[in-house]
Amino acid sequence: MTTLNVTINGRTYGPTEVRDELTMNDYLREYLGLTGTKFGCGAAQCLSCAVIVDNPDGTSYTGPTCIVPAASFNGKSIRTVEGHAKNGELSVLQKAFIAHFAFQCGYCTAGFLNESQVLLERLAKKRVPRAALEKTIAEALDGHLCRCTGYIKYHEAVRDVILADPQRYLV
Amino acid sequence: MRLKLRAKILSAAAALLAIAMTAPAVSDEASDSLAAPESFAAIADTAARSAALFTEAGKVLTHPRCVNCHPAGDRPRQGDVRRLHQPPVARGEDGFGLPAMRCPICHQAANFEPAGVPSNPGWHLAPHEMGWEGKTLAQICEQIKDPARNGGRSLEDIVHHAGEDHLVGWAWAPGGNRRPAPGTQAQAGALLDAWVKTGAVCPN
Repeated sequence: MTTLNVTINGRTYGPTEVRDELTMNDYLREYLGLTGTKFGCGAAQCLSCAVIVDNPDGTSYTGPTCIVPAASFNGKSIRTVEGHAKNGELSVLQKAFIAHFAFQCGYCTAGFLNESQVLLERLAKKRVPRAALEKTIAEALDGHLCRCTGYIKYHEAVRDVILADPQRYLV
Repeated sequence: MRLKLRAKILSAAAALLAIAMTAPAVSDEASDSLAAPESFAAIADTAARSAALFTEAGKVLTHPRCVNCHPAGDRPRQGDVRRLHQPPVARGEDGFGLPAMRCPICHQAANFEPAGVPSNPGWHLAPHEMGWEGKTLAQICEQIKDPARNGGRSLEDIVHHAGEDHLVGWAWAPGGNRRPAPGTQAQAGALLDAWVKTGAVCPN
């Protein structure tokens, strides 16, 4: 057993005694009821289970939750799909996903949303030329699988958000 | 009919005996063990002994636990069949993966057996110039000796890397149903140490 303290969407959870073999995905879904984070392949191949991990230095990355122990998140701060909307209003990315009909069944959406959010934050810190944008988006979303094949629409939605604020994201 | 069967059995047994009689003392076949450096003392010629020592150490260097993270391309391999890593990941600029898919995100401090994820602190790919996949043992040997293709290491550094590095040591305790590298890490280090001390001669 390990004592787990974790911050999720700005709220602190714990201390909670968790089994060492408990995955973070089960902790989120079964312990906390945060079912927006999906369980897909169970092998980190689809990334529907990906959440955002915020580093103390201000950088962030996405990581799967289905193959990593909950205990490894002790002391960390993460964001899940439940944290994107503020005061009942969807984020710019969420609105773009809807506008582009980016998802059908929606099972992969949380992962795509988190990955896209991290991409936006990364570009805001280190802008890229317009010519490199398509490749940058494609590489960022590359690991995520969508069985409804919404890849193009996700890509276009992210691109639209970036092009709507070029001074922030592009050189 | 019975005589024909007996003749076939005898013929097969003779063939097997012939194969066994002609097999080299140091085999490049997959093995779970390593010969000790002292067992090569009977090889009088120093250069030949050195090459034989490296050939024995080569059982480790060409083992999937090592080659899978010394790939020829930009994607690591998995398992004893050396399939491409799933999920698809790439080397990235520093060998720790692309920005959106870094190795340590999944490969953490220790193996996580419920999900079958191997782990060790510092999990990453060997640099591109240190790729061993698809190379002969002789080519790997020349590569290991070349500072331009071994991470700027001296031969003593190589011995230390193979014999004491923590990440390399995972190969002998991989957990799960993974097949460990032959022998022990200390034995592999001892073989390479003896190889260096006998002139670091590469096998043909």
